[in-house]
Amino acid sequence: MQHLAADLAALLPALLVYNVRMTLSAIAIALPIACVFAAARLSPSRLIHAPTTAYVNLLRSLPLVMIMFWTYTVGPMITGRPNSAYVSALAALAAFEVAYFTEIIRAGLQSVGIGQRNAGLASGLTAPQVTARIILPQAVRRMAPSLLTQGLIAFQDSTIASIISVPDILQTTNVINAREQDPILLYSLLAGVYFVICYALSQAARRLERRRNRRLSLAATA
Amino acid sequence: MPNALDWSILWRPPYGEQVADAILLTFQIAALSWVLAMLLGTLVGLARESPLAPVRALAGAHVELFRNIPVLVQLFFIYYVLPRLLPPALRRELFDLGWEMVAAVLALSLYSSAKIAEHVRAGLNTVSRQVKQGALATGLTWWQAQRHVVLPLLLRVIAPSLTSEFVTIFKGSSLAMTVGVTETAYVTQEIGSDTFHWIEANSLGTLVYLTCAWVIAAAMSLIERWTFVPGLMRRERG
Repeated sequence: MQHLAADLAALLPALLVYNVRMTLSAIAIALPIACVFAAARLSPSRLIHAPTTAYVNLLRSLPLVMIMFWTYTVGPMITGRPNSAYVSALAALAAFEVAYFTEIIRAGLQSVGIGQRNAGLASGLTAPQVTARIILPQAVRRMAPSLLTQGLIAFQDSTIASIISVPDILQTTNVINAREQDPILLYSLLAGVYFVICYALSQAARRLERRRNRRLSLAATA
Repeated sequence: MPNALDWSILWRPPYGEQVADAILLTFQIAALSWVLAMLLGTLVGLARESPLAPVRALAGAHVELFRNIPVLVQLFFIYYVLPRLLPPALRRELFDLGWEMVAAVLALSLYSSAKIAEHVRAGLNTVSRQVKQGALATGLTWWQAQRHVVLPLLLRVIAPSLTSEFVTIFKGSSLAMTVGVTETAYVTQEIGSDTFHWIEANSLGTLVYLTCAWVIAAAMSLIERWTFVPGLMRRERG
């Protein structure tokens, strides 16, 4: 019991300071960029949509650890500053999530029918007004569950930072295990902590989705 | 870094052979995990619609457990904890047999099976009740109806999500490096840290994963085109 308390006291701060902080920062960085990229993906101009499409396809085809290798080892050659494992991992995670968020946002925007836009324009609203008042509110509601789910995947993926030696919760578990040789307790604890958080949040995402579906079916019958 | 680029490092000894072996290992891990994940995932997905409540509950628990724990954490759990359940003599045997490879395949298959099960369940909902009843009305038995009518439709419906799941498994095989499987990501890092030719080493890894992802996507889109059923699905453009 004493072990359990001591281990938890070591693991939870690592989770907060590294995994949670990295995930939230990556989302904060990636979301605005992804909004711009999604708009670019929908642009009729090839010059604008081709590079963003290439970025999305490239980043989604690579393992996150590969992107972390790039930022961790080649990043310092470009910036000329000594590398920080945490900053490298964060940069990689953010770049990775930009690709996934872009696709979710694009799908959300496209799911709002063209009829909505035409009706809005016909009612005398300007194009930016239609986007802000008609398209976006519906699109945001539709993509919220997917964005939350993707955020959860980012939270799970933040453990990959341990491979480039970020002292996150997984790395901390490995270090304590090397000292105490108690893998059953330690890795069960690690898996348990993650399960509780991800299960709770994924249930929330599901509730969000169910509410959205109800609203959509109400709108369809009305 | 002061090093000038030297691409030949990737195929000159001692690394050339390691690179070839590593790529082969990546393929083996991914292929094995995919087959296992498909089998287990389909089974669990069908079980979630089973008429027996305990079977449904068990399948539900499987999905929630394996998709809410990071795959890397599952890998470490399997790698370190499962051998502890064996007597020490057998444990050594296990590690001599290449436990790290088995652990990696197990972790990847379990994690992916949970996601495939969800795709299967979602796909089952799109095969309408009329189709199932129609199949039974023609005199097919329940199993024949599943085998010849429901499953062929189901697999077509979920083929796109299975493609992305396959690519995910491929990418996930890189995590096997953490328990010492000398696959592509492992060798990338080894070459980089031995020679400081990081750009060449990273490019190699990047190229391998990119090529694989694109080959899988192209192959699956061909399969989707061949098996396309007009009226059943709307073709989406990527």
